[in-house]
Amino acid sequence: MALAQQVQLQRDPGARADLVRRVTGSPALRLVGRRLLTAIPVLLGVTLLTFVVMNLIPGNPARLILGINATPGQIAQVDHQLGLDHPFWDRYWIWLDGLLHGDLGIAYSNRQSVNSDLAQFLPTTCWLLLYALVVSLGLGIGVAMLAARKPNGLADRLSLAVSMLGLSVAPYVLALVLIWVFAVKIQWFPAISNSLGSNPLTAIRALTLPAASIGFPLFAIYSRLLRADIVEQMQREDYIVTAKAKGLKPWRVLVVHATRNSMFTLITLVALNLGTLIGAVAIIEPIFSLPGIGAELISAININDLPLVEGIVVVFALVTVAGNLIADLMYAVLDPRIRYGRSAS
Amino acid sequence: MAARLPDMTTLLAPGAQPLPSLLSARRLKNQKLARTLRFWVPAGLLIALFFMCFIWPHIYSIPPGNTGSILAAQEPPFSPGHWLGTDPDGVDIFSMLVYGGQVAFEVGFSVTAIGMVIGGLIGLAAGYFGGWADSILSRLIDVLIAFPALVLVLAVAEVLQPSEIHLIWALSVFSVPAFSRVTRGSTLVVREQPYIVAARLSGTSSWRIILKHVLPNVIPGIVTFSLLGIGVVVILEGAVDFLGLGIQQPEPSWGAMIAKGQTVLTAQPEYVLIPSIVLLIFVMSLNLFGDALRERWGVR
Amino acid sequence: MRTACLAGAVAIVLTAAACSSGGGSSSSTSTSAGATSSSSASPVSTGAAKAGGSITVLEGKGFSGDWPLGLDPATNTTGSADQDYYNAVFGQLFELGTNGKQIPDLATGYKYSNGNKTVTIDLRPNVKFSDGSALTASVVAWNWTRDLESSCTCAPSWTIARANAKVTTSAPAAGVIKVLGPLTIEVNLTAPNGAFINTMYDTIPNWIISEQSFKSMGETAFAKLPVGAGPFIMTSDSFSNEITMKKNPTYWDQPLPYLDGITFKSVSGDEAAYEAMLAGEGQVYIDMSTPQLLTEAAQKFNVITQLGTSPYDLQLNTAVPPFNNPRAREAIYAMTDFGPILQHIFKNAYPTAEGFTGPGGICYQQNVPGYQGYNPTLAKQLVAASGLDKSVIQFGTISSSPVAAETVQALSQEWAVFGVKTSQHSYNLNALIAAFLASGGKSWQAMIQTAGAYDPAGGVGVGFRFGSLSPFSGVHDPKLDSMLAAAAASSSLSARCPIYNQAAEYIAKNYYGPFYFSFAPANVAVKGVAGPGLTSALPAVAVAPAVLWEDVYNNPATS
Repeated sequence: MALAQQVQLQRDPGARADLVRRVTGSPALRLVGRRLLTAIPVLLGVTLLTFVVMNLIPGNPARLILGINATPGQIAQVDHQLGLDHPFWDRYWIWLDGLLHGDLGIAYSNRQSVNSDLAQFLPTTCWLLLYALVVSLGLGIGVAMLAARKPNGLADRLSLAVSMLGLSVAPYVLALVLIWVFAVKIQWFPAISNSLGSNPLTAIRALTLPAASIGFPLFAIYSRLLRADIVEQMQREDYIVTAKAKGLKPWRVLVVHATRNSMFTLITLVALNLGTLIGAVAIIEPIFSLPGIGAELISAININDLPLVEGIVVVFALVTVAGNLIADLMYAVLDPRIRYGRSAS
Repeated sequence: MAARLPDMTTLLAPGAQPLPSLLSARRLKNQKLARTLRFWVPAGLLIALFFMCFIWPHIYSIPPGNTGSILAAQEPPFSPGHWLGTDPDGVDIFSMLVYGGQVAFEVGFSVTAIGMVIGGLIGLAAGYFGGWADSILSRLIDVLIAFPALVLVLAVAEVLQPSEIHLIWALSVFSVPAFSRVTRGSTLVVREQPYIVAARLSGTSSWRIILKHVLPNVIPGIVTFSLLGIGVVVILEGAVDFLGLGIQQPEPSWGAMIAKGQTVLTAQPEYVLIPSIVLLIFVMSLNLFGDALRERWGVR
Repeated sequence: MRTACLAGAVAIVLTAAACSSGGGSSSSTSTSAGATSSSSASPVSTGAAKAGGSITVLEGKGFSGDWPLGLDPATNTTGSADQDYYNAVFGQLFELGTNGKQIPDLATGYKYSNGNKTVTIDLRPNVKFSDGSALTASVVAWNWTRDLESSCTCAPSWTIARANAKVTTSAPAAGVIKVLGPLTIEVNLTAPNGAFINTMYDTIPNWIISEQSFKSMGETAFAKLPVGAGPFIMTSDSFSNEITMKKNPTYWDQPLPYLDGITFKSVSGDEAAYEAMLAGEGQVYIDMSTPQLLTEAAQKFNVITQLGTSPYDLQLNTAVPPFNNPRAREAIYAMTDFGPILQHIFKNAYPTAEGFTGPGGICYQQNVPGYQGYNPTLAKQLVAASGLDKSVIQFGTISSSPVAAETVQALSQEWAVFGVKTSQHSYNLNALIAAFLASGGKSWQAMIQTAGAYDPAGGVGVGFRFGSLSPFSGVHDPKLDSMLAAAAASSSLSARCPIYNQAAEYIAKNYYGPFYFSFAPANVAVKGVAGPGLTSALPAVAVAPAVLWEDVYNNPATS
């Protein structure tokens, strides 16, 4: 807001109230507010579902912690320490209460707080996903532009073939093949990466093969979607036709107008994809011995470490819900029909 | 500026065709040939795979896929009686592909069918009726979609004994929301078509409208989405078997073959490569067929 | 347009912000010690011992590659699976060397007295922990008291008097541990135990921590970077992931260790380790068991199969049908032809076994008189007589062992020939324990496990699998119990071994459970890296042998 307006507001209480009313009356903001509100029961539902599912799994965490020689007395003692002798709803409520205060509890397997475990493993996964997203987006955009420039041309056909491959290959298969070719045979990249190393170069080397395994299917999706979107815009949108008629080079039209406009579709898609990405991470990380959240989730499930699994799942769910929220918001903000309050969304 | 929720089906849309009048007759014929091939080659591959997995074992007896003789362990390909060789336990590899393929087909199609039917109904209802029913259903669906698929499947595998049926249930928990979302989106669009609005205003019963008018318009998109979905389910099922929490040894599955092959990847890469290639062909044929179908039906 | 770009920029910034915490490295407090060397891995014979260089040692997840609670022996429930790290940092009181020779390390000798109820141990003089404090008998006493009070199941199972007889983790009673001098310490047991010293290997009383550092650092910090008197000092530790160590300049056995540093890395399995070694990212891998990879690895690296101490054994639950019937049990013996399994799956890498002793342990007896071998005619009769083919046998094993899984499959195939059907189960550790304990021990029927230890009286020894008091045993026979107790009481091998031989014969006569082969893990090392356990075989006390890191050197020289 202009300085003059701000100053006026401070002097005039009536004006301030009016501004507030105008802001809260804005449909876009109301929509954002509504969306945020509806995200809350979703998160609650997810936490409950996680808790239920994990508690159904047979096996006693106390025994797991104590080992094979544990006596029933020792087990009862640890049960009590961990609060496992409380009834189900009590335990859920205690956990949820902690969650709302930002405390995810203590992991069974190593007696550390789940928060600190997450803090330790989250960065590796984050960097991995960032790397995969950035490269797949970058390549996807580039390839899409090349392909859309001349529909059905050579670049287009080639890119369609490659992206079809990307859509059809299983990430874990790709990971194994990449390891065999690039780590064992050619030795450009390491086969295992217990840490990201001390400088960006070692980190990139360590993350390239895992990121490629995750990123190749993503690249396939993004390049195809973007290409389809751009091609359609180039043929339908009026201003593009006008620009072409005015003699602007198609390349310039493509880059300046069509690609830019398709970006938000792409970003919406990225946001929607976040949830499934995280599932892929759980399979890929153990293959490369990467100490990330996915690997941690798998091992936590195997040893029945309830608080750790719940903590990780909650983080996953948060990211997925956030992603969906962003996608919904972007969609809503840009579609006038939705913005003005129709129920369709 | 185009403001459109990216429909997952559009990302597979083939390129727009130039106007026919600009093409020579020969080019037209080539294009037609290409289109026919694009439809029939993947369809043929799918039929061939189906034949191999379900019909061939009845015509010609093959060794069992879950047991073998350790005396015949690790035979190379083209050995007598084992044309693809045997694995370290003496189990015939071709048989494992065949029986694993049965599992892949069964899980893939069942999960997708369940998703289509149940998810489709939910999506139709939510999209058509709107209001609080829509709100509640959508929230429930959001919960399921936000839940990491893998965790649920792993947990189900541990709670119930891991088996094919339980795997199908667990995976359906994810195909149902996906289908209901897609159906709901399509229904929302179709619902506003003029003739549907007219029908509503004229007092026709809702379900009649849904079944007679909305459904036929929504089905092409759903079917093409489902073909993509089968591929995803098969890959996910393979992932669960790969982690050892799906189909239990010694029952065969492609994912378990890959997992077992992974443990000797550097020594004998063929144990990974063979099932991987078959898996790739299967999923790619599904995707290509879905593409071709959409091309035929003109679905966007 | 503008909104789109803005939204895109925001999204990217948010993601980057989320990732910037932690600075891109998942390891903690790493000081830059121990750079990995790249040894040449060219096929030459090992050169002479040479000081200098560092190596990276790979350990497999699911066993030695996990240390989720840190490395304080008294609190780390993973126990002796983490022996490699303990040995490097703490050294041991007594070490087990090549061919089972005992090597006094931080202790110099021992003596039994008082009918084998008192053990006196002499410590080595002038040994200092890496923090400068001295290793004395009172420090050892403090260690052992702490170990005995630990609620970890890795706590020593000495039969001693406790301050509070009702609480198993109460302090040892006065007089149980006596400090007789600055370097002499004594333990008084309530029952004779001639195997006391033998059962020290790979258990926590063998690893002595620095009392001074523990008290100044506190329990949590100490578990992360423990301090001992061993050949190496820990410089960084990322739990269940990576450890770096550097040479201890004040190690008692100068000029050892040869190596300047060791980095330990946890890998997901044999294949991942092998790939890493091929790519030059690791020089040693501990405990490889996949037969095909062993064959491959032997072509490029040194592969040493250790001396097994725990043969694979098929436990039969004699408390419930069908194996409460001795004829059914005998049928199992007669149906199994282990030769082809050993040849085709394991490439004849291990010796056969008929009892619970292995070539690496004491009282080794490969062939047991009266052991029922493969006899298909007899098997058919027995199967018919006992009705073993009428029901499905529940056949289980632990999922983390590929060897066990292969054995289960192969045995099922062989029995199927006689019409015996099995339902195979592969359990993780938790589920395995649950399976043993379900229905008061009356649920399981047959389990493939390992039975036996370096000294059968200790560890997962014969009592664990065949004693009536163990919940993991399928046998409840007081006569066998008394035989095993008698063998444990004496300290002279000439008295004990005949009793153990008798016990093995007794087990065979009652068909309590067939033994198959004396599996032993193999260690893989690139050419040029040598030492006990890497280029010479050691007895495998607790699954994997304890490599003596102070004697390991890296000499990628030509022959």
